Amino acid sequence: MKNSATTRQESDRLETKSWLNAVLARPEIGPIGVMLLLFGMLGYFSIPAGEFSLNPFAGEGFNALGIRNNLRVISQLGIIALGAGLLIIAGEFDLSIGSMIGFAGACMAMILRWGFAIVIPYLSFDGGMHIEFFTLVHITDVSALTAIGITMCFTLFFGWLQGYIVVKSGLPSFIVTLGGLFFLRGLTEVSLRAFNHRPDQTKGATTVTEIPDIKNIIEVPGYGEMEREAAKALPEADLTAIANSLPADTIAAITERLEYTYNRVAEAKTDILIAKGVKPMERALENALASGNDYMANIIQDKIANFKIEPVVAKTVTDTDIARVYLDSITTARPVANFFGGDILEPVFDWLYFPVDWNTNNFGNQFAPGLYSCVMIWVLLSILCYIVLSKTQAGNWIYSTGGNLNAAKANGVPTNKVKISLFIFSAFCATIFAACQVFEVNTADAAKGNLKELEAIAAAVIGGIVMTGGFGTIMGIIVGAFIFGIAKEAFFYIPGIDGSFYRVFLGLVIVASALLNENIRKRIMGTL
Amino acid sequence: MSAAATTPLIETRSLVKKFGSFTALNGVSLRVYSGEVHALLGDNGAGKSTLIKILSGVFPPTSGEITVEGKVVSFASPRNATDAGIGTVYQDLALNPLTSVTRNFFLGRELTRFKSPFGLLKMNEMHEIAMQEMKKIGITISDPEQAVGTMSGGQRQTLAIARAIYFGAKVLILDEPTSALGQKQQMEVLKTIRRVQQLGNIAIILITHNEIHARLIADRFTFLSLGEVIGEGTAKDLEGDDIKRLMAGGAKIGDLAKELAV
Ligand SMILES: Nc1ncnc2c1ncn2[C@@H]1O[C@H](COP(=O)(O)OP(=O)(O)O)[C@@H](O)[C@H]1O
Ligand SMILES: [Mg+2]
Repeated sequence: MKNSATTRQESDRLETKSWLNAVLARPEIGPIGVMLLLFGMLGYFSIPAGEFSLNPFAGEGFNALGIRNNLRVISQLGIIALGAGLLIIAGEFDLSIGSMIGFAGACMAMILRWGFAIVIPYLSFDGGMHIEFFTLVHITDVSALTAIGITMCFTLFFGWLQGYIVVKSGLPSFIVTLGGLFFLRGLTEVSLRAFNHRPDQTKGATTVTEIPDIKNIIEVPGYGEMEREAAKALPEADLTAIANSLPADTIAAITERLEYTYNRVAEAKTDILIAKGVKPMERALENALASGNDYMANIIQDKIANFKIEPVVAKTVTDTDIARVYLDSITTARPVANFFGGDILEPVFDWLYFPVDWNTNNFGNQFAPGLYSCVMIWVLLSILCYIVLSKTQAGNWIYSTGGNLNAAKANGVPTNKVKISLFIFSAFCATIFAACQVFEVNTADAAKGNLKELEAIAAAVIGGIVMTGGFGTIMGIIVGAFIFGIAKEAFFYIPGIDGSFYRVFLGLVIVASALLNENIRKRIMGTL
Repeated sequence: MSAAATTPLIETRSLVKKFGSFTALNGVSLRVYSGEVHALLGDNGAGKSTLIKILSGVFPPTSGEITVEGKVVSFASPRNATDAGIGTVYQDLALNPLTSVTRNFFLGRELTRFKSPFGLLKMNEMHEIAMQEMKKIGITISDPEQAVGTMSGGQRQTLAIARAIYFGAKVLILDEPTSALGQKQQMEVLKTIRRVQQLGNIAIILITHNEIHARLIADRFTFLSLGEVIGEGTAKDLEGDDIKRLMAGGAKIGDLAKELAV
């Protein structure tokens, strides 16, 4: 017997992984590949017809507006996918997310529009038996923060209730939250119709409109608080007065920028006019060449070469223009509403327009004002979730609750608390999603958030979350949201195919991801 | 017997456990000393699992008492038993196969920078302790980040045992630790038990069906049959045949042969 046999240990039997193997064994590697593929598709297919570029960022999918809009879709989905994903890692589902979005949005909007009241109904016999209401509290002109706070009370309570029922009854969360899905959607529709005060409630609107544009309320010196658009529509005399009241360097800066814009717009207009003028001649040239009429062709070529057009004259900067730009630059007087519904990175996007000239549309104007605020909220929540899941005790509890519930219990992990907390967190994410929508568009609709619960679960699965729990990462959920959010756009630009193919693609990706996840799980469980 | 002079680390006196009208344990007394492996043997249904469930606080006895280091204790929950120094390693080992060695070692008792579920984990320190503690009882793991699911059955047993000891177990209860393992891994586990035995300050209650294993490693034996102790003694007291006979519930081979005859 050789001596080496005795020094060999059980641990030596586990192959030490090479660097490459270690990377390939990461659960996120597949999804990251799919994400890069979609980025490539979006980039190349969105390069306008007739142009050629090796740089995918030259495409429309990656111009300033494309980035702004795509990141909005991705980050909104990403927010709820965090809630859904963490819950799945702990071994439970939440199908009520979509309805919760609708409910939370409606709740917030109703409070902003009509105020908040606590009433006690009672039977009254004066003039026939009927129900009357005794109003305990009634507040109107509710601030954004209060509206969100009150809404959170309802939604977090509902999340707690669902979690409580699941852990106490042992029922599958699928069923309990399916109940939540119908209950909340119905409740939302019923309340919206009731509050819209239509005599025939079956026909009442299930929307809330005419909420002021809260995030754009600004303090205009000498005029008090008003909506930005209203301020910009003040009579010319007032605007002039505002402009004249500004310090000289502010005026100089605004003027410089406005002159740049006006010149840039004029330039763009000239280019468009030239293109318009030359195009018919180019077509004639083609015809001439095709029919072999060289004489004509020469003449037309000459004409094209000498085609001139009076350059468009740039507008001159007026006081009202200066005042309007100044009003645009005043920061909001309602930071909470702006936090959820406003824009971020505006100075960067300004700079990308002037002087960088990248954030410029075909007409010479600034393309995107910034990114939607929900992107920042998504980033913050993702960092928070990453730290909690990977770096804290709570994270280990979440993993073990989903990975082996009995083991977790036997080791003293408060698994019920873990689950209930994550149901609450899922409701929290849905409420944040709703706040972003309500404060951005200033309306609410009972149909908002429809099917979002399934999208969130799909994003989590695509990102490597195992449906049976115990396995997955925040990085994966983020990548999943990117894939789900960008697939539609990427397919939209492919010439000559039906845009709905993106759903076909996503369907395949979901099943493929689930198979891959199961394979990884089995390999880790040692059963493969 | 010199050991009898010292107090047992854990002792049960006339434990009775009734499930309704069914008497699972009928006055079981047991003495377990530190540094010893105490084999608990008996046929299926003899009441071994019931006994250790009482010891580990899963349910209380109907009557009788338990003493730990001479003091009478009563457990309202498994947590109480753990706090009193009784560490039970169940057959499923209470491990989460999907996470790392370290995360399992500290499951439920993670070391954090400040005391809160949201306290940051002291990962490096935890890695070091987990590796070191497992090494003490015989297994060197190359990677504390390794998922427990990829470990061998023997390694998992060692992890569960090392964990119980590190978190203060004075009495270690092992419920059929070798039953689901292959020959080679059974030996790994026995080696681990031997190392714990050699630490000298820990008492081990070993439940097993395997007479050879019991004879290889146990210092003291208790035989259960139909909820009662039908025999006990040190390894020296018992002859080979005795063990076989007692394990079969007290019957002699000759009697069994008669029973078989039709
Ligand atoms: N919770 C219970 N309720 C009713 N009877 C039980 C319960 N647990 C065990 N028993 C019975 O008690 C007896 C002893 O069981 P157990 O302690 O599991 O035996 P062993 O582990 O020695 O095989 C068996 O007949 C079993 O059916
Ligand atoms: Mg048993």
